[in-house]
Amino acid sequence: MSVADYAARNRAGIGVSAALVVLAVVLVLVYEIPVAELVTVGAAERAIQAATPIALAAIGGLYAEKSGVFNIGLEGFMIFGALLGAAGAWIAAGEQSPVTQADLWVGLVAATVACALMAVVFAVLTIRYKADQIVAGLAVWFLGLGFGPFTASVIWGGVSSPSLPNIDNVVVPVLADVPVLGRLFFDASPLVLFTIVLAVAAWVVLFRTRFGYWVQAAGENPEALDTAGVDVNRVRYATVIFSGAMAGFGGATLSIGLGSGFTGTGVTMVDGRGWIAIVAYLFGNYNPIGAYLASFLFGSMDMLQIQLQTVGVEEIPGSLTDLFPYVAVLVVLTLVGYTRMPASVGEPYETEE
Amino acid sequence: MSGADTDGARAFLDRAADRMVDATAIERIAIGFASTALALALGSVIVAATGYDAVEFVTSLVDGAVGSESNIAFTLRQSSMLILAGVAVAIAFRAGVFNIGVQGQFVVGGFATSLTILYFAPHLPEGTTGGVLLMALGAIAAMLAGGAYAALPGLMKAYADANEVITTIMLNFIASGVVYFLIDEYLRPAGTSAPNTERFPEYVELPRVVFDSPSFSVVGLGVALAAVVLVAVFMSRTRLGYDLVTSGHQQSAAAYSGVDPGRTVVTTMVLSGMVAGLAGAVFAVMILGYYSDPSTFPTFGFDAIAVSLLAANSPVGVVPAGLLFGGLDAGGQYIGFTTDVPSELVDGVVGLIVLFVAAPELFRMAGKRAWLGGDRE
Repeated sequence: MSVADYAARNRAGIGVSAALVVLAVVLVLVYEIPVAELVTVGAAERAIQAATPIALAAIGGLYAEKSGVFNIGLEGFMIFGALLGAAGAWIAAGEQSPVTQADLWVGLVAATVACALMAVVFAVLTIRYKADQIVAGLAVWFLGLGFGPFTASVIWGGVSSPSLPNIDNVVVPVLADVPVLGRLFFDASPLVLFTIVLAVAAWVVLFRTRFGYWVQAAGENPEALDTAGVDVNRVRYATVIFSGAMAGFGGATLSIGLGSGFTGTGVTMVDGRGWIAIVAYLFGNYNPIGAYLASFLFGSMDMLQIQLQTVGVEEIPGSLTDLFPYVAVLVVLTLVGYTRMPASVGEPYETEE
Repeated sequence: MSGADTDGARAFLDRAADRMVDATAIERIAIGFASTALALALGSVIVAATGYDAVEFVTSLVDGAVGSESNIAFTLRQSSMLILAGVAVAIAFRAGVFNIGVQGQFVVGGFATSLTILYFAPHLPEGTTGGVLLMALGAIAAMLAGGAYAALPGLMKAYADANEVITTIMLNFIASGVVYFLIDEYLRPAGTSAPNTERFPEYVELPRVVFDSPSFSVVGLGVALAAVVLVAVFMSRTRLGYDLVTSGHQQSAAAYSGVDPGRTVVTTMVLSGMVAGLAGAVFAVMILGYYSDPSTFPTFGFDAIAVSLLAANSPVGVVPAGLLFGGLDAGGQYIGFTTDVPSELVDGVVGLIVLFVAAPELFRMAGKRAWLGGDRE
């Protein structure tokens, strides 16, 4: 593919990038922000961490939508994941003893499994009982907003958990001392590294394996897949359950993988990351690696506030810099809104027997 | 390529809307009742399973909703807000546009009311006349602001094909953040630390008739019911209303009859946002009497989604659904004060209701099994 071809096919992507660059330049000029001090290894590290929960949910949601089910409930599954991760680790540790690394891993696994089970219910409702995918997805969000803080109250007597430790970094001797890359990848949370590997693996599975082709066919042309003797709904069950599991894992990563426990006030600590995950895979044009990079973009937006504070830019108050990721989502959606969604998304499939 | 895509997206909405209006009226009412009953039953089971007293839960819930005159006033206050916000949601959902941004439009509308009242109060006579004038101006400002804020995602959907579920949710976050910033930075009276505006003048309040409550007036409920009637008449008796509903029901048919789909989406969003803005005005005047950090507000705009869905997006149906949810809300808060059961449980029950309403097929199949002797499909 020549550069010209690439540019023609990715017009919107380039447009968005250009718009964001212009916006950034304007902000830099207006507020005299010292750019060189903004882009530090620490900033990159925080952005990758912020991107990780979003990317996990995005990769799962991408698979579900590719196969024809719009899992708009990602935000809800992430809330359950964040809560159950913290709850799982807390319960595994027992009432008195401190939470250990092993307990945290138990929490992560418990959250992933529990959210996969919830996604089974969601899948049965949307696939077998043909529930409206948008309304059922909203319901998952409401359930998360209600039962998340409720369960926290039952366990801890308040909507948030006490402060919990998080998963230790994996430090590779020698390599960790390499400048920049060492700190980013060889002294990093295993969850951050796992997510990068997952993005690549998800790309390979989706575009290079038979199962990946089934997933794509289930969303684009379910009749053909059915004719070829593959059960369309079985493929969709698999992807929806995977999306619930990944969103739950992403939520648990947020609360105990990288964070310090569950916060259930307001719209909970997930705070729109599930919705941003949907935009991330749309922006990535249903490509898992693209979705990861888009998550990184939103993650760096999220971290911009801390960076601006460290370089001493006080003119833009935190209440506004907090909104950068949401504004970025709007810009992205407006410019790439026409992302081609799979032809049969939202349509229950019935075999013709 | 772009043309085929919008068709795909439209067909998707068509199908979604079709399924929603598939059910007959009686069936919809039955599904509403069944969903609510099942959700409450499940809620009680969860209460019992987590070691609380389920009987106490249910009796407190009912007691909190209708147990005393002040509880009834509180229920009606919540219901007024939910009916108004529910109508805003219903307009959009009816027309096949998923406006999840009613909360944000509500926040912006209430803020516009507050600005208007605080700005014009020194220029108008004091007393009842001035109060009525200020409230009228405030309501108009709220509807303009709510409509304009909702036009944004409408335009983005109509002309850039941006999914409105996501854009409206992002705009909710942005509305809340920006309003907080403006109040904290510019409207907070000197020497105070809470992010509140000044209080409105005393004469800016709805009359206390029937119920002597500082935060509920029958006039507020009257405004909500008037909005219901206006919207119901508009949807069923005017050409524009008919076009909107047809677009929601079957976009291709509407397009053939000469309706511009892009303009319909924007009109729908503006109307929906205007009603949401009005809800904000009632909230600012009747309940608060000043304006504050929106992240501390009740989430009427989200609960209204459940209200509208339970009412099968019928403006008239929003009234009983709004009363029910007002009662659930009041009862839920009462539970939080009077029992050990965490009040968040009621939010979960609302989620269950939405989940069941989303899957009418579940009840149809269950109904078939129960009444037709368990024959397999």
